[in-house]
Amino acid sequence: MSHLNGSALRLARQRARRHFSDTSRRRGLLVAFEGPDGSGKTTQRKLFKTWLKSEGYDVVTTKWNSSELIKPIIKSRKAVRALSPEEFSLLHGADFRHRVEQTILPALWDGKLVIADRFLFTGLARDVARGLDLDWVLKLYQPLLWPDLVFYFAVSPITSGKRVTATRLPNFYEAGQDVTHVEDPVESYQHFISRVIREYESLALIFNFITVDAEQSIGDQHRQIRELFLEGQRRPWSAWNVDAVADWLARTGGPR
Amino acid sequence: MKRTAKPRLIAVDGTNAGAVLAMARRALGSPSRGGISHWDASGVFQDLAVADDAAGPPSPRTLLLLYAADLAFRLRWEIKPALAEGNTVVAAPYVETAVAFGRASGIPAGWLENLFKFAPRPTELRFAHRAVKHGKNIEGFVGFGCARMRGKPGGRTPKQIRSGAAVELRKIARRSSKR
Repeated sequence: MSHLNGSALRLARQRARRHFSDTSRRRGLLVAFEGPDGSGKTTQRKLFKTWLKSEGYDVVTTKWNSSELIKPIIKSRKAVRALSPEEFSLLHGADFRHRVEQTILPALWDGKLVIADRFLFTGLARDVARGLDLDWVLKLYQPLLWPDLVFYFAVSPITSGKRVTATRLPNFYEAGQDVTHVEDPVESYQHFISRVIREYESLALIFNFITVDAEQSIGDQHRQIRELFLEGQRRPWSAWNVDAVADWLARTGGPR
Repeated sequence: MKRTAKPRLIAVDGTNAGAVLAMARRALGSPSRGGISHWDASGVFQDLAVADDAAGPPSPRTLLLLYAADLAFRLRWEIKPALAEGNTVVAAPYVETAVAFGRASGIPAGWLENLFKFAPRPTELRFAHRAVKHGKNIEGFVGFGCARMRGKPGGRTPKQIRSGAAVELRKIARRSSKR
């Protein structure tokens, strides 16, 4: 049994290496936008996508918690506030895995540029802010798929709070009320987002994110992202990703 | 439920849902001793069963993450409260059924071990190896997972994964009996 498994994985690794190191085909690129709520990621992601398309890139966007298979499961449980931190973490991990297998890796395999509006670092920052162990959460996301570039939109907890609450009240889980037990969602949000930002800042150091000062103007941020992207896209394919691609090829059959 | 002398968590694992249920009932004995915690108490898999096929099939890893989420739910609402009251709880199935499914699908043991780190070790571990015919059409996790997978995960057909899970479970049972 293990022999069959080992050979399937070995073959998948070879296939992955061959595919991604083939310079005759356009290589897929994965760019992640990370940051707390209210940091302007989505605005920048949309501007970036428009620009990439004008430059001739074939762009695919994937958002956090958006798998058609898992999202309804999470949504119904969030609505009744029925999730513990572990369940919250595991269900978001399932959503992420399904999108990696069904959307992200197939697009990368086809040489497309994938923009991830939030990536696994969102899960790490939020789950650790909820009191879970970083090592446990990180391993849930294995085999790890590393983006070619991670833009981290840095804002202070105060700016995040002001932007989020300017037009609406944060929802129960967004405000972290499940762990702060603070009744006022705005007050809870301030507590919770401070913890999330602290975790993001640690992750930014550990995983070498490109930090964008999200307090500056939208135009300045966009220009900075374009420049950084043009520098970063020339990097070779990360061999770190061979396990993630091989796992996908071996266990799901790969491209349909 | 009446309080017993000592709270007990009895895990009953197996790939055949009918056999697991039958063994769980025997393990509990009288219902007054406690209760049985069944697979999918959270309804996650029930929701998955009615999901749109166009979303793409779940892989073994996705199914295992969902199994763990369901188990976390069962621990929070069924198992831990009953144990806190001093009762016997039969978890049918518990961790090893999912581990056997994962191993048969080629998932690394280390990943599986980490996934279920949050689950307390049972007081007693029993294995339902024999298939049992049940009046009702009961579908357990392994049957559910194999029915919904597409292609050949890890180079194996769903049928091979199902039989492979039974083999893995026997290996786990042998190891646990030596401990």
